[in-house]
Amino acid sequence: MRLYNRTLSTVAALMTGTTLIAAPAAAFAAPGEAGHKHDTAAIGEPAKATAKTRTIQITMGDNYYEPNAVQVKAGETVRFLITNKGEFLHEFNIGTAAMHAAHQKEMATMMEHGMLTPTGINKGMAGMDHSRMPGMEGVSMKHDDPNSALIEPGKIKDLTWKFTKNTTLEFACNIPGHYESGMVGKVDVQR
Amino acid sequence: MHTAPRGLSRRNALKLAGAAGLAGIVTAYPGRRTFAASGPPLELPVERTRITIDGETSNAIAIGGSIPAPTLRWREGEEVIVHVTNRLDEPTSIHWHGLLIQGVMDGAPGFNGYQPIMPGQTYTYCFKLRQAGTYWYHSHSASQEQEGMYGAIVIEPADRDPVRADRDYVVLLSDHTPEAPEAVLRKLKVSEGYYNNGKRTLVDFFRDAGRDGLGSAMRDRLDWGKMRMDATDLADVTGYRFLVNGKGSRDNWTALYKPGERIRLRIINGSAMTIFDVRIPGLSMTVVAADGQNVVPVKVDEFRFGVGETYDVIVMPTEDKPFTFFAEPIDRTGFARATIATRQGMEGEIPERRPRAVLTMADMGMTHGMDHDPMAGMDHDPMAGMDHGSMQGMDHSSMPGMNHGSMPGMNQNSMQGMDHSSMAGMDHGNMPGMEHGSTASQNQAVGWADAGTPPDAKALSYADLKSFRAREPRAPTHEIEIQLTGMMSRYIWTLNGEKFDEGAPIRVAYGDRIRIKFVNTTMMAHPMHLHGMFVELENGQTDRMPKKHVVLVPPGQVTSVQLTADEPGEWPFHCHLLYHMASGMMTRFIVEPRTASL
Amino acid sequence: MRTTMTSPGRAALTAVAMVLVLSTGAARAADEPRLDHQSERFHEEPPILGTLLVDRLEHRWRDGQNSVDWDIQGWIGGDTNKLWFNSEGSKVVDGKLERAELQLLYSRMVSEFWDVQVGVRHDLRPEPQTTYGVLGFQGLAPYFFDVTAQLFVSEDGDLSARIEAESDLFITQKLVLQPFAEMNASAHRVSALHVGQGINDVELGLRLRYEVTKEFAPYVGVNWERKLGETANIARDHGEDPNDLAFVAGVRFWF
Repeated sequence: MRLYNRTLSTVAALMTGTTLIAAPAAAFAAPGEAGHKHDTAAIGEPAKATAKTRTIQITMGDNYYEPNAVQVKAGETVRFLITNKGEFLHEFNIGTAAMHAAHQKEMATMMEHGMLTPTGINKGMAGMDHSRMPGMEGVSMKHDDPNSALIEPGKIKDLTWKFTKNTTLEFACNIPGHYESGMVGKVDVQR
Repeated sequence: MHTAPRGLSRRNALKLAGAAGLAGIVTAYPGRRTFAASGPPLELPVERTRITIDGETSNAIAIGGSIPAPTLRWREGEEVIVHVTNRLDEPTSIHWHGLLIQGVMDGAPGFNGYQPIMPGQTYTYCFKLRQAGTYWYHSHSASQEQEGMYGAIVIEPADRDPVRADRDYVVLLSDHTPEAPEAVLRKLKVSEGYYNNGKRTLVDFFRDAGRDGLGSAMRDRLDWGKMRMDATDLADVTGYRFLVNGKGSRDNWTALYKPGERIRLRIINGSAMTIFDVRIPGLSMTVVAADGQNVVPVKVDEFRFGVGETYDVIVMPTEDKPFTFFAEPIDRTGFARATIATRQGMEGEIPERRPRAVLTMADMGMTHGMDHDPMAGMDHDPMAGMDHGSMQGMDHSSMPGMNHGSMPGMNQNSMQGMDHSSMAGMDHGNMPGMEHGSTASQNQAVGWADAGTPPDAKALSYADLKSFRAREPRAPTHEIEIQLTGMMSRYIWTLNGEKFDEGAPIRVAYGDRIRIKFVNTTMMAHPMHLHGMFVELENGQTDRMPKKHVVLVPPGQVTSVQLTADEPGEWPFHCHLLYHMASGMMTRFIVEPRTASL
Repeated sequence: MRTTMTSPGRAALTAVAMVLVLSTGAARAADEPRLDHQSERFHEEPPILGTLLVDRLEHRWRDGQNSVDWDIQGWIGGDTNKLWFNSEGSKVVDGKLERAELQLLYSRMVSEFWDVQVGVRHDLRPEPQTTYGVLGFQGLAPYFFDVTAQLFVSEDGDLSARIEAESDLFITQKLVLQPFAEMNASAHRVSALHVGQGINDVELGLRLRYEVTKEFAPYVGVNWERKLGETANIARDHGEDPNDLAFVAGVRFWF
């Protein structure tokens, strides 16, 4: 599975609290352009919190990040400590603009199907066989989406990431409409 | 409970204007001008002028020297002073549409003690801004609004704006006719169908008979004939040019951007009579505010736009190319067009025009009996195409946000009259299978709601609007039913069958929580506007009913709103279609102070 | 000949005329918003509007003498109360005025589609000139028929009635077919006017107009009139043909 297909899994796993079904991966077309591969290596890689070289605190509001720009060094491992002080469910997701665009479509589908609500994750939908719902075919229940954290109102989460390359990335909330409203920040990865 | 009015009384305000010695000596503002957030009082002269649209010049009235009037950029919490000087030879007024305001400052002559500004006089408005968002201002006298007296108001929030955009544009839609408004009204009264150049003809009859059978076509014509109604009656007035920020489609108003930027468009329908379908082919619009009030962002491809409403949308073009902002009136008699471009002079493609809808019996409210018990009267037969089998085992009760987006084969036409508001959380606006017109032939749209939206496009529905901030509203203690009524053939428009000031006003007590139920008995949509207070639209939300100052009530439908009567005064409550209001579709909404012991 | 001052019909007409004058005066007041203070008015007063429709102004070609015929209506007033004017007539080409009728009515809206009308009718021709009191209704019947039905009492107390209906069928947005029908009846025989008792005549017309503008439309058509019963006999006695078929061409216009 490519990285972004997994965010759905994150949600599903959050809802069920457990891994239920293996991914029928073949059924799921890549979001965005078919055949387009996101190279995980281009944005870095997940890391253990213990490997961090520093911690950056991010506050989420409706619908923004504070701060909305961070500078890191290539090779640096950063632990982001993210607090959702808003009333809405938000995401902290590290990627490129194109990756976010693709991911937003998935998030929109989840919102449409009621798996996500504006304020939280719909735990009542646990146990449904989403794979049989039109538009949700092949959505995995597997939880292995390391570059994203979904954070409910009032909650705090952390995400540790090792930035490998000298590039510019975005951290973004892909809950429908939030990215467009400006809930996106810049990660300047410098040498 | 009735507190003394704060700020300046009108008398004081007038004194102030006199003391300033500026009455009659006001600055002319050539061209469009944005005023600073704070500082000296604004001077807004009202005067006759000429407007040139796509090369044709006609008579108009300007506020502050331009059409549209200058965009007023203010900040929440500010107190503003505006001197309006009447340089016409007739009375005038300016109403601040959507602003929470003391009655005498609201600017509707005959209400709250406000009197029209007589020729040569200056009136001083003074009010504190108690809200943020996109609003507008216009004349509330005669039909002057039609002649160019409208402009935008943008109020920056005191707190952080939940929307961050790189560019911020006002997109003010309007309709302009070279005809004098009085002449338009006279023609409507004398010959109601005067402006309808889309009547059903014998040619249409044979086409329909060929398609649906002679019997069916005949029955349909007889049904309409029996009611003395016209199935093509979508708009009363034609001959309009449709403007974006005062520019015709050839003038091509242009908003500039750099690829990747977030552009906030503050879209205002400042038309006299025109309900638009708005889209920007190639760009999704994320609606972030409705009627100035923030909403949970919702991404759409198009929306239907009632007169007086505003929507703030975000667009994010990533390519370096021109995009066409396209607004078609629902009777499809033309279009407003602007361009979102990276350079001046660029022009986007003009998209294919959408078909004009033919009204159905459902638009006449022939299904009214169906909309009382939640879902009880719903006809499930037309949902036969829904595949329940693939949804087995689903617990519907735990799906408050359920969206029928994937239910193909649902037939919108046979579901008209259903009370959608009683189906909490169900988002009908998203049903691609219900896309209007998909069953009809490509060139015909059936029913008022059919905007000709393609199957893969998402049109905003009122059900999509969720207030950005959740509230726990009190349950309404009583309900007021308002019948939207009219005599089309005479061009008399009424509320509860009575013309303005012939019927009894609506009276509520200060602090009351009420439900207003609009029952549209006519075959036209009516954008109902209440001054002084927001109404909360019952659109299936519970704690996130969106606040609106205009609610577009579709033909033959019932729409309910709630409100807390927390602004004492005597407020205009009317249809915002200018000639409907002018011909009687208005009443007084009186919020009476409680007679408490003092 | 009849006397003018002593006829009971004349007295009734005077009363009708007075009602007419008084009610149109009141009409104005009734259309205004009921507010106490001039300054508290929302808008300017509701407009007093007026219109004049020349529904038919046409040349008729027939076997006998060709004629020019007209049918005009107009009104001035508000939504509820109007002063209404009707006229129709016929003049032989290069000849005499055969029929000329004028009506002045007070018209009051009584329902969405109907006005009740009361007033006077005066026929300049045929002679002797006759004045009538009129009570009728005018409006839009189901299936879009414009209908006028009127009851007349002449100054001599003779009772008669007329009903007419017409409709517009749109062939295209500009090409309109207008069927028309009229029937006259009388409770009395009025020899001086060549009118018998019972149904006097029926008239059917079909006109096809082209609306150059909504206000101006030339047309062609056919008009057939047939006198019936006693009236037909009277016509024959005077050497007239009770049948009258004419081809017509004319203009319809309004302001």
